[in-house]
Amino acid sequence: MQPSGLISDRMTDFVIRNRWIIITSCILLGIISGIIIPFSETDPEIRNYIPASMKSRIDTDTIENEFGVQDMVVILFTDSSILERENLEVIRNIDRALSRMPGITSRTSPFTVRSIKSEEGAMIAERLIKRIPEDSDETRELQQKVTGNRFAENIVFSHDMTSASITAFIDKNIPETETLRKIDSIIRCNPARMEIRTGGLPYIRKYIISDVRKDAIKLVPLALLIMLLILKITLGSWRSVIMPFSVVMISTFVSMGLLPLIGWKMSIITLLLPIIMVAVANNYGIYLTARQQEIIRSEPSLSGREVLRRLYRSLNMPILFSGLTTIAGILGLLTHSIIPARQVGILAATGVAVALFMSLMLIPSLIYQTGPGDSGISKSDNKNLLLDKLLKATSRFIIKHSGKILIISALVTIILSTGILIIRIDTNQENYFPAKHPVKMTSELINKKFGGSQTISVMLEGDILSPEVMKGIDNMTRDIEKMDGVGDVYSISLAIREMSKAIFSEDEKGYNSIPDSKEAISQMFELYYMSGEPDDFKQLINPENTKAHVLIKLSDASNANIKLIKKEISGFSGLFPATIVTGGYAIIMDDFAGEIIKGQASSLILALFTVFILLSIIFRSFKGGMTGSIPLAFSILIGFGFMGLTGIALDAATALLSSIMIGVGVDFTIQYLWCFNLNFKKGIGYIEATQTAITTIGRSIIINAMGVMAGFSVLMFSGFLSIRFFGYMVFISIGSCLIGALLIIPAFILKFRPSFVEKDFERK
Amino acid sequence: MKISVTALFVLLTILQGAAQLPEPEIIMDKSRELSIAGTISANITLTITEKNGSTRNRTFAMSTKSFPEDVGKRYIKFLSPPDVKGTAMLIIDNLKTADEMWIYLPALKKTRRIVSSEKGKSFMNSEFTNADMSSPPVSDFVHKHTTQSGSNNQFVIESIPVDEDKADEYGYSKKVSYIDKVNYQVQKMEIYNFENVIYKIIEIKGIHNLPEGKFIVSDMLSSNLRTNRKSEIKMTNIAEGAKVDDSVFSIQNLER
Repeated sequence: MQPSGLISDRMTDFVIRNRWIIITSCILLGIISGIIIPFSETDPEIRNYIPASMKSRIDTDTIENEFGVQDMVVILFTDSSILERENLEVIRNIDRALSRMPGITSRTSPFTVRSIKSEEGAMIAERLIKRIPEDSDETRELQQKVTGNRFAENIVFSHDMTSASITAFIDKNIPETETLRKIDSIIRCNPARMEIRTGGLPYIRKYIISDVRKDAIKLVPLALLIMLLILKITLGSWRSVIMPFSVVMISTFVSMGLLPLIGWKMSIITLLLPIIMVAVANNYGIYLTARQQEIIRSEPSLSGREVLRRLYRSLNMPILFSGLTTIAGILGLLTHSIIPARQVGILAATGVAVALFMSLMLIPSLIYQTGPGDSGISKSDNKNLLLDKLLKATSRFIIKHSGKILIISALVTIILSTGILIIRIDTNQENYFPAKHPVKMTSELINKKFGGSQTISVMLEGDILSPEVMKGIDNMTRDIEKMDGVGDVYSISLAIREMSKAIFSEDEKGYNSIPDSKEAISQMFELYYMSGEPDDFKQLINPENTKAHVLIKLSDASNANIKLIKKEISGFSGLFPATIVTGGYAIIMDDFAGEIIKGQASSLILALFTVFILLSIIFRSFKGGMTGSIPLAFSILIGFGFMGLTGIALDAATALLSSIMIGVGVDFTIQYLWCFNLNFKKGIGYIEATQTAITTIGRSIIINAMGVMAGFSVLMFSGFLSIRFFGYMVFISIGSCLIGALLIIPAFILKFRPSFVEKDFERK
Repeated sequence: MKISVTALFVLLTILQGAAQLPEPEIIMDKSRELSIAGTISANITLTITEKNGSTRNRTFAMSTKSFPEDVGKRYIKFLSPPDVKGTAMLIIDNLKTADEMWIYLPALKKTRRIVSSEKGKSFMNSEFTNADMSSPPVSDFVHKHTTQSGSNNQFVIESIPVDEDKADEYGYSKKVSYIDKVNYQVQKMEIYNFENVIYKIIEIKGIHNLPEGKFIVSDMLSSNLRTNRKSEIKMTNIAEGAKVDDSVFSIQNLER
């Protein structure tokens, strides 16, 4: 007896002896894991996706420690004429209610903004709206006050007077959900004719939490249902369906249950985990169940023990290797610096390991316990015949046109892969949401009319009141202001300029400029504080006057634009005596984009390398490893090329694609090469071995690929665009892996006849 | 039944006690009247302590004088820090109209008028407001005794702005003043935010007594419980009744 046969016999005996223990422990494991899952929490904070040790996070934390968290809630009011009395009354009532709310640390609204102006020899620093206009003359007067007011126009009122905004900074010591609930309640209590929208990062986080939950509730059951249908259609009887399906359920529960058990939180990326599990965990079960049906079909009178023995003999090793390569591919995610990507890697790999173990233990236990079973073809006869016909036709086509297949495949791959050059990276959270989503609509309005909802923060440390530093800050402010994609820039130098306008007349030298002495700047502040508030500049300068903050609002928060602004800021380093620290959400996002590229490259390299090594071991040849990697390389090039050509961006979710694709796609190649080798060893030659392999294992591979694609297809119904795109991309990737395994690999082997396929894979 | 009788007795005692207290408006008016002095000269130190413990000091010389029609004038000249030394201010406290402020900036050689009618606005970037620095009209508030009023030799009076606009102007929802029963001197004020939670406490740490029961607060500390910032104003070299010429309180004098 061959060694593998010996192992198969031992495994058969072990499973038969311990079948009840295996069945009971698997069921218990599933139940316990299922109970733990609801304890999962969601983390909507994208900055937590990257390690706290990263420079952008450290710098942002430093700036936020000094100038407060820059997370702002934006309430937008839109109407054809926002300055109408009725509208302003509602805005005032909401603003007043917000001012009395404990969750708000400070706010900027039409009723808090001040106008600094010179009038009859007086510097008047007063509220922009002291009294709501009562007639058209007063309304016109207010409009004139807003126009050109550096602190009002495009900040609290849009230039076209159709929108107004209240920007409120939230207190991190009070639960954000509570604060947002109160804000929503205030808005509800103030019904208005005008349209009122809410936005800003806290609202984006709120929608992420609710949409992740909604998605999980909607997508996971849908994926399970689709999987059940696919299994029913392909495997026939419910008895055959329930075996791989129970593996799917239990392994999904285990991987999801580990999340709260380890103390990790759900994120948009983790949303992919149950879907990966549903799509992937059935693979080994399908191979086993389909093979069991084939065995029964050929020899209906076999005993349960004999069925198990034959099953193990033919599939034990390829399933084990498929599982190991899938785990290796998925573990490629460990090199990602995106934290949830690593977590998905660990959890999915654990889930697949559980699925693999249960497929090799639980399914045989169930097969033995329920009897050898049916051939599975009674009801799906016609479908199977159709599939068989298709596979036979495919094998004939490959045998006849192997050269052409290889040339056409190479050409298509080369053409599609050009898209890689134009692939886009997108880390903007706003783009997670579809165009009609309230978050997206509000963000677009903020970007269009209020300078942008995303910010870059620059902290300057030095003697801020010295004219050299203040002029340096002013040059930086004015330079960045002129850049494309920059909505507005706020700095203390602008306040100084406004004060100078109130002190000097237009024809005087000091008008709209930074004074030349520290004393003059200090005295300007004294002058301001006679009518201003201590908090008026708390976001722009610290009380000790040693640190200043330049806040840049972005109307275009694309990664390319953020890079340009970052470069411009660093150009000021050394030009004046102050150290420059650049941070803020947009900078974190830029780092995040860099991490996505690095993570993508490293996970791809690690996954490909590990899979190559495993394939080389499995096929006992480096050539075998190389050949087995062909469909993966082909799929990777096509997948990323397709992304570039169609404009699908590489983002937090799609960054996981390559590892998942390698992990899942490699199975098909192993199964095919193993089956080909089994047949070739029978001495039937290349052509017949190809034909037999395609018509036998090809069926399982197609069912498997359909299962994976169907499982992931539910992602197309996700509320997040990024997740939807992941769903489309899995279709393309797995489709290309399938073509690679059932078209390119057979054609390659027929054409080049590599010696490794002639070896005995099962021999030690 | 026994408990109910006891409770009724306690309630009656409180009501009887409250009934014997003077009207809260009368107390507030009297306290205000006694705190308005005639001509005063003093040196003032304003210390602002940030929540991280860092402090900033400003010292200035101040002269105040009462003028007819309830007009009070203050002349302030900065002595330190060096970068603002020489800055001078003239503040005209009008009882019925908005206060007027003039400031001379020596580094810019400019005098500018500042117009601000917001009583809740900060005084010199400190935790004190303009209202804390003067005595706001009694009619801006509805006053009432609290249950503690009358005990511990103190009147404890709650003052609520008469309407929403006044509440916005002063920037708080309620003020509780602790006033000495004998000399009507304010000892402490608790300021409540719009959530009806104390957010600022002003403690009177020093009083300079004047003839005829009048007094001026010579040391007061304002602690902002929300921002953890503290500001203290201390007066030294107080000279009451000194003859200060009216011309000191003129715009022309600022630039001298």
